[in-house]
Amino acid sequence: MQDEGGVPAEELSFGDALKELETIVAGLESGQLELEDSLARYERGVALLRALQAKLSDAEQKVTTLLGELEAEDVPVAADGD
Amino acid sequence: MSEERALTVTEAMNAAKRALESVSLRVIGEVSEFNDKPGYKAAYFTVCDGAASMPCLMWRDVYVASGIELRCGALVELTGAFSAYVPKGRMQFVVRSLALAGEGFLRMQVAALARKLESEGLMSPDRKRALPTFPGRIAVVTSPRGKAVHDVIRTLRRRYPLAELMVAGVQVEGTDAPAAIVEGMRVADAASPDVILLVRGGGSYEDLMPFNAEEVARAVAASRAPVVTGIGHEPDTSISDMVSDLSVSTPTAAAEACAPSVDDVAGRLEKLSRLLGGALAHRVQVARHGLRRLLERPVFADSRVVLGPAAQTVDTLGGELRRAIPERLRRDRERLTYVRKSLAGVGPRLVSHPRDLMAVASARLGDLSPLGILGRGYAVCYGPDGRTVVKSVDSIATGEKVNVRVADGRLGCVVETAEREI
Repeated sequence: MQDEGGVPAEELSFGDALKELETIVAGLESGQLELEDSLARYERGVALLRALQAKLSDAEQKVTTLLGELEAEDVPVAADGD
Repeated sequence: MSEERALTVTEAMNAAKRALESVSLRVIGEVSEFNDKPGYKAAYFTVCDGAASMPCLMWRDVYVASGIELRCGALVELTGAFSAYVPKGRMQFVVRSLALAGEGFLRMQVAALARKLESEGLMSPDRKRALPTFPGRIAVVTSPRGKAVHDVIRTLRRRYPLAELMVAGVQVEGTDAPAAIVEGMRVADAASPDVILLVRGGGSYEDLMPFNAEEVARAVAASRAPVVTGIGHEPDTSISDMVSDLSVSTPTAAAEACAPSVDDVAGRLEKLSRLLGGALAHRVQVARHGLRRLLERPVFADSRVVLGPAAQTVDTLGGELRRAIPERLRRDRERLTYVRKSLAGVGPRLVSHPRDLMAVASARLGDLSPLGILGRGYAVCYGPDGRTVVKSVDSIATGEKVNVRVADGRLGCVVETAEREI
């Protein structure tokens, strides 16, 4: 999933990946790109999209405490953060 | 003196005035009416406690000197004495000093601090930072107990589970609360979050006072990470709210404000997915269209357009070749013809000559053959050994036997005489 020398989509932060994806879509929509470039960007876009969707579907809130002791409610709290 | 003289009304009122003014009082009450028209020599207001009300007067210079702006609902502590307004027979409390009591006092302090921090520019809109769109780490500074922290956790788990949530649980009420909140802000900021939520559930004005503390306000203003405040459910705005990057009314609202909803994000991704596919399809379509237009160009419709010049070149070159090759061929052919003719001439000669030579040679052989000579009548004389040809009279003695070869045989002879003739 690594092309154009970019950071692998999975390693990007959600915001960065989304920003890059939006840039790619905008670039493709401009119609100014060479076909080969368009295809390469499309592939990168698909990789980003997959990574983003995976992040969304796999997201599980992690809660840590920096100070104090969290009074238990129905929220599972991870053991002490780092 | 047993019968006292009846007093005049004026005397009676003045007696009452003196009696009232002799006692100094401290009174606490809530301002219910307030009248401070410009040009009046005094500010007139009423304080009450629900069961009773008391008209008050405060001379303008005294009121202005107090530095307090009275408004209805303010809880005030008044020092002064009752007096009577003799011409109208009215009793009133003449205020010598005024202080805001309870919440009113707190509000005054808060307002003063707000003015101070505002004058320092801490509330300037220019200082307000934009929140990150997709925070990866969210710190929450709040009480570890109670509803607020769980409102935040629940809201983020439902709307935005992408972020790691770090809770700095601190005491938010009481005299130690400001220092605890400042420490919470410090620890939270040190964890380098993308955004900090400083929140607290609802409470009285007094309960929320720690968020009006100067040190807390300064900690909020100094935070490296942008701060969203959601303090209390009242319409009251704390100083922390004023200096934060974004202030909302509740902890839940703060959690909602600091991150988008994943449902919205999923929708956005879906849209981007469609746009991405559509954009590429469009690009391919454009390319295909371009290709088709190219294919329709004469170049491709009729190959002669593109091949014509080349064909012409081929023709030209071919012509030259045809001229060049036959010329060469002709010359070669001529040479060949010549060579062939030569060969044809030479050939037979090459063949007849040996035959002639053989005839000649044979003739000469015949000529040279001693047998031939013998046939013409010559004879050869061999010596006694039968092999040595006797060529001289000296090589043979008389009486020796010689053998004479004639054409058809040999003759055994004895030399009778040997005479030299030459």
